[in-house]
Amino acid sequence: MRKYAVIYKATLMENMQYALNIALGFISYFMMIFVFINLWDYIYSDSSQLIAGYNKEQMIWYIIITEMIWFGTRSATITREVANDIKSGQIAYGINKPYHYTFYILAKYFGEISIRLILYISLAVIVGVSFVGGLSNFRILYLPAIIVVLILGIIINAILKLSISLISFWIEDSNPFQWLYDKLILVIGTIFPVEIFPRWAQPIIRCTPIYVVVYGPAKLIVDFSMEMFFRVLATQLIYLGIAIVIMLFLYKKGVKKVNVNGG
Amino acid sequence: MLMAAKNQFRVCFLSIKYNIMREMINKVTFLTNIFFMMLNNGTFIVQWLLLFQIKEDIGGYTLDQVMLLWGLAACTYGLSHVLFQKAFELPELIINGKLDSFLVQPKNVLLSVITSATNSSAIGDVLYGFVIMCVFSFSFGRLGLFILFSITGAIIITAFSVLVGSLSFWIVRGEMFGTNLTNILISFATYPDGIFKGAVKFILYILIPVGMTNYLPVHIMTNFNPLFMLTVLGYMVMLVIVALYVFYKGLKRYSSSSLMVARM
Repeated sequence: MRKYAVIYKATLMENMQYALNIALGFISYFMMIFVFINLWDYIYSDSSQLIAGYNKEQMIWYIIITEMIWFGTRSATITREVANDIKSGQIAYGINKPYHYTFYILAKYFGEISIRLILYISLAVIVGVSFVGGLSNFRILYLPAIIVVLILGIIINAILKLSISLISFWIEDSNPFQWLYDKLILVIGTIFPVEIFPRWAQPIIRCTPIYVVVYGPAKLIVDFSMEMFFRVLATQLIYLGIAIVIMLFLYKKGVKKVNVNGG
Repeated sequence: MLMAAKNQFRVCFLSIKYNIMREMINKVTFLTNIFFMMLNNGTFIVQWLLLFQIKEDIGGYTLDQVMLLWGLAACTYGLSHVLFQKAFELPELIINGKLDSFLVQPKNVLLSVITSATNSSAIGDVLYGFVIMCVFSFSFGRLGLFILFSITGAIIITAFSVLVGSLSFWIVRGEMFGTNLTNILISFATYPDGIFKGAVKFILYILIPVGMTNYLPVHIMTNFNPLFMLTVLGYMVMLVIVALYVFYKGLKRYSSSSLMVARM
């Protein structure tokens, strides 16, 4: 475990040098939020109106949080880099090291996104408070529980995305599968809370990663309840277990297919 | 003069043709990329179906009009990336001094640069655009206008990208700035202009040219107006001239990094 902590720390230190690059990425996030503030402003005839149980303030905060998770955790380390390592055979240099390649990538990934996520959280709070105002239902007391589900959601998302990249052992380009996963999270999970979907679709969506990656953490921030917290946490733990098994299985099977020709 | 222009277009055409043929070497990957990109775009239909369940009109648009807007956005974006992919990677070429090999060619530098690569998945965007247009608002007249505005839109996006990308000749962080501006253009392109008010609308029509690539063309396709059409064409010509001027002005400041690269 210590070696992964060292990898995490080294990547974290390296990424602290690029804080300005991260800050420039804020423009895209801000613009996205700006579009949705205008969209929901248009759709809600008045701020007291409820749509799927959410008032305008909660709906905009929901999207500020989900987009923050989306933008704050994006990285090519678990997607393009892994796929390229596999395609180019570069992974051969990762296999013979005294660490597990997948955990090495995850440690590197978290070292990379830690600073960015903290900056995005700060920006999300500033944007939310300035454009929408504070969340009336939010209490500081809920924060530890929210942090736990937020981190677990990010870990599950990273493992699932890494597992998709591992498909590159069998097919040349895993990118199209990443697009589909991203769009599942983005369109169905980020833009709307689950309650907006037709009743028949809601149980299906609750079984997808959307529930544990974006909906759970965002819902708890805009409308916290202990019952909801335990439900999300339990689902996340089940998902985490399944995701790790899938990742290790794909890696174990895939790595046997690596052929190294000199070099 | 005419002969030189004809030769230049022939070179561009061949360059694009060979770029696409190179992408087709692995047919399965090529087709998967296209198919999945169409599927990827298709997921956004869910978003709009849900929004129109909540409210009958959004920003003064009906569902068919939003789909037309989406189709045109996909088509203009796709066409610009299939034909002129390198226009979107210009800052990287400038910063890393990778323009050398284009400077020694006896043809137009900018055209040689921007037509030197293609994005195969963007073919999926173009196809998706046409499918959406045909499914939600087909008529022969509208199809003609759709093709015309896909071309003008692609030229405007490319010119805009060249313009902001050329800032890298002067600004070190021009790369991030340019990418952000292009992303903003794409973010706004699929949402009706009616939801924005005041100064934002002015910015969207003049500074970030999404109004000219998407909004105004959709208004013309639903309610034909020759004056609006001339506005789009005039804006396109003007933006191309400005982009060319800025690129060649910046090119004088370009310094090679003596990088040895093989273009294959």
